[in-house]
Amino acid sequence: MTGSSLSGGLDPRVRAAAVSAPVRSAALRPWRTQSAQRLAFGYALLAPAALYVLLLVGAPFLFSLYLAVSDANVGDPVARFIGLENFRSAWEMDTFWIALQNSVIFLVVAAVLKSLLGTSLAFLLLQDFKGKKLVRGLVVIPFTLPIAISVLSWKWMYDSQFSVINWVLSRMGLIGQFGTDGWPIWLGDPKLALVACILVNVWRTFPFSAIVLLAGFTSVPSEVIDAAKVDGCSFLQRFRHVVVPMIFPILMIGFLFDTVFTLSDLSVVYLLTQGGPGNATKILPVLAYQIGIQAGNLGRGAAIALFLVPLLVPALILVLRNLKRREY
Amino acid sequence: MAGPLTQRRKELRRHLWIYAGVTPFVVIAVFPIYWMLITAFKQNPDLYQMNNFPFWFNLAPTLQHFKTLFYQTNYGSWILNTFTISAWVALITLVTAVPAGYALARLRLPGSENTGIAIFMTYLVPPIILFLPLSRVVAELGLQDSWWALVLVYPTFTVPFCTWLMMGFFKTVPMEIEEAARVDGCGQAGAFLRVILPISLPGVLTSVIFAFTLSMQDFLYGLAFVSPGDQKPVPVGVPTELIRGDIYYWGSIMGAALLVGLPVAVLYNFFLDRFIQGITGGIGK
Amino acid sequence: MSDGRPVPTDVHSLSRRGFLKTTGAGVAGGALATMLDARQAPAQIKGTTLRILQWSHFIPAYDTWFDNVFVKEWGDKNGVKVRVDHIPHLELPARMAAEFAAGAGHDIIMNGSSILTRLYYKSLADITDVYDSVGKKYGGWIPTAGPLVQVEGRTYGIPMFYILLPMTWRKDLFDANNLKAPDTWELARVAARTLKPKGHPTGIQFSQCADANLNWRSLLFSFGGAEADPSGENILIDSKETREALRFAKALFDEGMTAEVFSWDDASDNRYLASGVACWIHDAISAYRSTEDTNPPVFQNTHLAMEPAGPGGKRVSVSAANVYMVWKFSKNQQAAKEFLAHYMDNDLEGMKQSRGYNMPYLLGNTKKPMPIIGADPKMQILQDFPKIVAFYGYPGPFTTPIQEVVNLFVLPDMFTRVARGQNVEDVMKWGVGEYRRIFAKHKRA
Repeated sequence: MTGSSLSGGLDPRVRAAAVSAPVRSAALRPWRTQSAQRLAFGYALLAPAALYVLLLVGAPFLFSLYLAVSDANVGDPVARFIGLENFRSAWEMDTFWIALQNSVIFLVVAAVLKSLLGTSLAFLLLQDFKGKKLVRGLVVIPFTLPIAISVLSWKWMYDSQFSVINWVLSRMGLIGQFGTDGWPIWLGDPKLALVACILVNVWRTFPFSAIVLLAGFTSVPSEVIDAAKVDGCSFLQRFRHVVVPMIFPILMIGFLFDTVFTLSDLSVVYLLTQGGPGNATKILPVLAYQIGIQAGNLGRGAAIALFLVPLLVPALILVLRNLKRREY
Repeated sequence: MAGPLTQRRKELRRHLWIYAGVTPFVVIAVFPIYWMLITAFKQNPDLYQMNNFPFWFNLAPTLQHFKTLFYQTNYGSWILNTFTISAWVALITLVTAVPAGYALARLRLPGSENTGIAIFMTYLVPPIILFLPLSRVVAELGLQDSWWALVLVYPTFTVPFCTWLMMGFFKTVPMEIEEAARVDGCGQAGAFLRVILPISLPGVLTSVIFAFTLSMQDFLYGLAFVSPGDQKPVPVGVPTELIRGDIYYWGSIMGAALLVGLPVAVLYNFFLDRFIQGITGGIGK
Repeated sequence: MSDGRPVPTDVHSLSRRGFLKTTGAGVAGGALATMLDARQAPAQIKGTTLRILQWSHFIPAYDTWFDNVFVKEWGDKNGVKVRVDHIPHLELPARMAAEFAAGAGHDIIMNGSSILTRLYYKSLADITDVYDSVGKKYGGWIPTAGPLVQVEGRTYGIPMFYILLPMTWRKDLFDANNLKAPDTWELARVAARTLKPKGHPTGIQFSQCADANLNWRSLLFSFGGAEADPSGENILIDSKETREALRFAKALFDEGMTAEVFSWDDASDNRYLASGVACWIHDAISAYRSTEDTNPPVFQNTHLAMEPAGPGGKRVSVSAANVYMVWKFSKNQQAAKEFLAHYMDNDLEGMKQSRGYNMPYLLGNTKKPMPIIGADPKMQILQDFPKIVAFYGYPGPFTTPIQEVVNLFVLPDMFTRVARGQNVEDVMKWGVGEYRRIFAKHKRA
C-alpha cells in the first residue's frame, strides 16, 4: 500500500470531480485556489518550527561565525575582525589534526559497531517470543539514563583500580592481575582510551539504532515480504533486495542524525578522559571547548568547532537530495 | 501422529536460539545498570575495596546514599524539574514539529526541500558555541537561573529531529486517504486534524517520547543557564552537587540516575509497544 | 562524609568590633573602613539581593555553615537577601563565560584552581579599596596573593583561601620497611622504589588535570626550577633544573609507579590512598580527610608531611587558589564589597568550619596556633606551609600567558612525555617552544 501506489491510484474521474469545482471559482478568485490555500496552510504549519530554529539556532550560528573570524576572548567586550586567522592557527596546531583524526575514527568505528549491533538486535526483536516486551524494555535503558550520569558510572567501571570490567575479565582469566602489564588501564593507555570512549558511545546509542531499524522493518508491508518468499528468495536475498531498499530512507536518516550527534558530542569524552591521555581521545568538540572556554580564546575555539561544517554541509546536502529523489 | 510434538519441539528450539541471541544484548545493556543498582546501596568502605566481589554486598546494604540524596540535596526538586521540563519540551516539540513535518512531507511547498535540509543542518552547530549567544537571549528574556530557560532552549535540539521523524511517518500515510478526506469536504486543515493525525498517532507518540528522552540528555545548557540548586534538573544537579571538589559521592550518584532513568525506560517501553502495533496495523489497511 | 547537622558557630566571638579592638589595628581612612567601624551598613544596601556563586566544598559542613548560618546572619543584620549557588569548580569557566555573554548573572563569583582574573578583568569590578583595607587590618597579604587578582595596579578580586597539597604518607608501611619519612623527594623516591614490589606503589597524575598542574610545579620549583622571572616577562623554564626535575620524574615513575597514572584525574589519587594501595601521595588535603570515611584503618596510619625538599634543600608548595570576584554588571556592588570584607573578617572562622582546610592568605591569620590544624597532632605541620606557598608562574606573577599555559596543561604534558619515554631534550624543545609561542602571542596582543 505504501511505495509505488502513493502517487496515483485514484480514479481519474473522481479526481477530476474533486478538482473541478474549486478550479472554476479560482478563475474569479485566485487567492482561493486550492493551491493557494494549500500554500497558506503549509507555511502556517511550518512557521512555528522554522521561526524557532531560525531565532534560536540560526541567529546564534551566525554569531558563532562572527566569533570564528574575530579575535574574541571570553572576557573581552570588544573583538576585532581578523579574517581567517583563527582557522589558519588551528590548521597549524598539530593537536588540531590529531583531534580531527580522532573524531573521524570515533565516528567510523562507532557507526560500524552500532549498525552491526543494532541490526542484529532489531532482527531478534522482530521475532515473536515470550518475554519480548521485557527484553525490549531492558535493552532501552542505556538510552534513557541521563548521559552525564551514565558516563560517570562508566568512568568508575573503567577505573584503573576498581574497574568492574577488569575484575570480571581477570577472574575469567582473559587478562592479567592488577599491577601487572596484563591489567588494562582503559582510560590511561593511549591505545585503549579511544576504544573505551567509543564503547560507551555505542553502549548508549545502539538501542536507538535498533529501534529505528525495527521501525523500518515493521513498516515493510507483509505482503511484499510474502510475495518475495513466494518468489523463492532466500532470507538474505529478501533482505538485500527487498527490505533494505524500502527502509533505506529511514536508515539513512537515522544514520545521518547519529553522525551529527556523535561528531558534536562533548559529554562522553569530556567526562571520561577530557581528551587524555596525551591527546589520545582529543576530539574536535573537546579541543574547541578547552581552547574556547577554558583557555578563553573564543575565536579560535569557534573556528575549531565549526571546522567540519563546510565539509559536512555539502556532503549532507548531497545525501539528503539523493534521498528525496529516491522517494516517490 | 508426531505432529503436535514436533511442532512444540520446533518452537522450543526456536525459542532457545532466540534467547541465545538476545542474551548477550541484554547482558551488555543491563550489566552496568545492575552494577549501578548494587552500588547505590553499598556502603562506601565496601566500594573502595579492590578485592571485594562487586556484584553483591560484602557489607550490609544501606539506604544512606538515598537519605543523602533526599535530605541533603535538592533531589526532590530536581526530579520534579526534570519531568516538568521534559513535559513542556515535549509539548512544544509536538506543536511545532508535527505540523512542520506534515507541511514538509505532504504539502509540496516550494523550497520545502531546502528548508528540510536547513533544519537538519542545525545539528552541525555545536552547543559549546551556541550556549554563549543563547545565554544572552535567556538573560534578556529574564529566564536566567530558572528552569524555564531550559524549556526555551531544549526544543532547539528536539524540534529538528522530530520534524524529520514526523516527515518520515507522514510520508507513509497513503495519499488516497488524504485525497479521500479532502473529497469528503474536509478541507486542508480538517483533513490534517481529523484524518491524518489520528492515523499517525504512533509516530506522534514516538516523537513525544524521543523529545522527552532527549531533554534529559543535556548537561551544558543546564550548567550554563541554571545555577540555583532547586531549579536544576537531575542531569545537571547530580554532577554539580554530588561531586564536591574531587570527592565523588558514587552511591548517591547511581541512586539518582536510576530513580530517574528506570521510570522513563518503562514509559518508553509502553510507547514503543503502541508505536510498533500502530505501524503494522496502519499499513495493513 | 556528609554531616548534615548544622554546625554551631561562634561568629559572635569574632565580631568586627571585637577583632578590631584586640588587634588594635588602626582603622585607616577610606569609606569602607568607616563603614566597618560603624555598627550598621549604609542604607543603600538594605532591601537588596546578593547572589553568590561558588564551588561545592569537599567539606559539606562548610557549605552548610556558609549557606545557612554565615550569609544569613550577615544578610539579616544588613537587610540583604543573600543567595548562594554551587557548581563544581571545574565548570566555573563555562558558567563565567555564559554570564559574561549574558551580561547578567551573579554578583559575586568564585574561581577555584582556574583563576581567570586576567581574562575577565575588563568586566570585573575594581575592588582595590576592599583588598587594601583588609590587608592593612590583618598584617598584609602573602606576597603571592596579589598577582592572582591584580592587573595593571588595580585589584579585581579577593583571594579567599587556598587548599594545600601536602605529602600524605603511610607511616605504617614506611616503618615496617625501615624507611625514613619522606622529607625530601629523594627519600620519597626510595620509599616508592622499596614499596612498589610489595604492592604499594605511589602515583602522581601524568595527565591533563588540575592536580597535575599543581603537583608537577611543586616538584619543579622545589628542584630550583622556575616558570617566569619576577617581572613575569621572561620565561625561565629552559634550565638545568627543569631537566633535572624531568629526569627525576621519569625515574620516580619507572621505579615507583604503575602505568595507570596516565589515566588519573583529580580524584584518582584519593582513591589510591583510600584503597590502601598507595604508600604515599602528593595530593589535596581532601584525600586525607575523605579516607577517614572510606577506609578508617588506612586513615589511622596516614600522616601528613612537609613539602619534600629538592636536591638543593628548597621547598615550594604550589596550592590551589580560590578567589572571589565581583562582576561589573552586578547591580549590587556595594553589598558585594561589604560582604567580602565581612567574609575576610571571618577568615579564621571559615578555616575552622572547613575543618582546617581553608588556608588563609592574610599574614595575620597565619600565626600559630591556627584553628583546627594547630590542635591536631597530625595536621600541625600544615602551619608551616604558608611560608613556602606559591602559585602558577613562580617566581613571577600569575599573568595571562601563564594562565594559558596552565589551561593548556603544557607542564603536565612535558612530564607525561618524559615518563612515556621521550627523550628529555626533545621534550624540553617542545615544552619551551610552547611556552615561547604562548608568551609571544600575548605580547603581540
